[in-house]
Amino acid sequence: MAGAAGAGTLGVRGAGPLTAEAVARRIQTELGGEWPETGADGFKAGEPSTAVTGIATTAMATIDVLKQAAKANANLVLTYEPTFYGHADGRTPAVPAGRRGPVGLNADDPVAKAKRELIQKNGLVVFRLRDHWAARKENEMLTGLAGALGWSKRRVANDDSLFDVPAATAEETVAHIRAKLNLRGGLRGVGDRKATVRRVLLYPGSMTPAIMWQRYTEVDMFVVGEVREWENTHYAADIFTAGQKRALITVGRVVSEEPGMRACANWLKTVVKEVPATWIGAGDPYWRAS
Amino acid sequence: MTAREVVDLIKKNAGGPWNERSYRDTFKAGDPDTAVAGIATTMMVTLDMLHRAHAAGLNMVISHEDTYWNDRDDTKDLTANPLYKLKTDFILKNGMIIWRDHDHMHSMKPDFTVVGELRSVGIKGGENAVMAPRIWTIPETTLGEFAAQVKAASHARAIRCVGDPKAKVSRILVGPGYATPRMTAEADVVIGGEQQEADGAFDNVEYVMDAASLGMAKGVIMLGHVISEQAGMEDYGKWLRTFIHDIPIQFVPAEEPFW
Repeated sequence: MAGAAGAGTLGVRGAGPLTAEAVARRIQTELGGEWPETGADGFKAGEPSTAVTGIATTAMATIDVLKQAAKANANLVLTYEPTFYGHADGRTPAVPAGRRGPVGLNADDPVAKAKRELIQKNGLVVFRLRDHWAARKENEMLTGLAGALGWSKRRVANDDSLFDVPAATAEETVAHIRAKLNLRGGLRGVGDRKATVRRVLLYPGSMTPAIMWQRYTEVDMFVVGEVREWENTHYAADIFTAGQKRALITVGRVVSEEPGMRACANWLKTVVKEVPATWIGAGDPYWRAS
Repeated sequence: MTAREVVDLIKKNAGGPWNERSYRDTFKAGDPDTAVAGIATTMMVTLDMLHRAHAAGLNMVISHEDTYWNDRDDTKDLTANPLYKLKTDFILKNGMIIWRDHDHMHSMKPDFTVVGELRSVGIKGGENAVMAPRIWTIPETTLGEFAAQVKAASHARAIRCVGDPKAKVSRILVGPGYATPRMTAEADVVIGGEQQEADGAFDNVEYVMDAASLGMAKGVIMLGHVISEQAGMEDYGKWLRTFIHDIPIQFVPAEEPFW
């Protein structure tokens, strides 16, 4: 009875407005897996019942990105990284205050408050899409980054992250990366800047030490988002001292994730055909002291 | 005097209870009963630093950070690793011995890492600084100008900054290494060594980008882990000299790793 009555008001698919909740459900169905309330992925701000006019994907939903989304009439924003400045992402953190200061946000934090007001005023909805997007077997986070660097056709094996790139010195390869990713001051290099680079291991996001330890003899250069300096940076410095002609390049976590979220916008076009999907870059956050 | 006896003296002089359960503050390589010819203090046990310590006749290294590229100096996955073998062979062949002082340094009053960091970035009055972050007030300047002063004072190559370079700043929070303080309402600038860029306990980078978009005067200055804690190990060496008199003690810096 409820179903019959509902058919008239809600309509069949395509007849009623496409809500953010319906888009999220479709993404969840397409990507599969469990979507627990306690997981990182899910709605972070805005009203899930909002009718979606357009979708914006981004590596990080900064205020600048949200303003651009509103201007582009994309009121559903899918972000890879948190919106509210940490893993808790606006929730009350379970971790008590430690010696490094309280974890999470104060309820009256002026920056978070202004961000929430901007979201509300523009009728935006923010949804975090990280774990399930990164878990896709197509691995667009990697292929997207390779594509942005012009290395799509240079992948050594389809199930690995090695690429055979045009032979150049480490410095020349860095210049290429800077230009392709439109970097400002975030990129840092360690190791032999004159090394001839032919084989590269690409790794968007944060790379753990084990990957470096296990694979450094296979590659001339690691190109990654970020590492811990007292782990992988330290290792790369020791490789250099040991006389090996290799380099570690960290481009910045967020910029390494941007191309994967650009690929996400392209994927959405095949999943949500009713509204446009576009990618909005958060940009390289850093400039250099000079 | 053996390396073990040196460490016993450090424990006695550190000015607080010693936590024997610290996994960080332990011997990492070499024989603790080695006779100490000289002590090198350093921020990180790099291979390059080991070469220079050995050349200077210093066989005991006291480091603030790790030797084997992970916080716990866990070597179970490294036993077949060529770089692990090369580094360990160099240490053992040359009768060297490595000990780490991290957790207890950060509990000391003052915390030499913070004292050294404040001096490195050109902030005066930090001689008694401790780990808990506090605001340091400098004459008002712009974020860009201040970053330039920090670069000139620290001689670091790769200082990364976030925020509007024209923002007027004077209230500075400073933390060493990975203990980059979180931005607060009272602070204009956070200075740290390193920090996960996003999805951590508190993401300074995104927070300051957003604050800048709102026209608020906020900035982040990331020194790099080595630069942020380097100078503190020079102070640590001076402190060792107050109770170890008959062994040469030298500060042997770890090089900033970045181009």
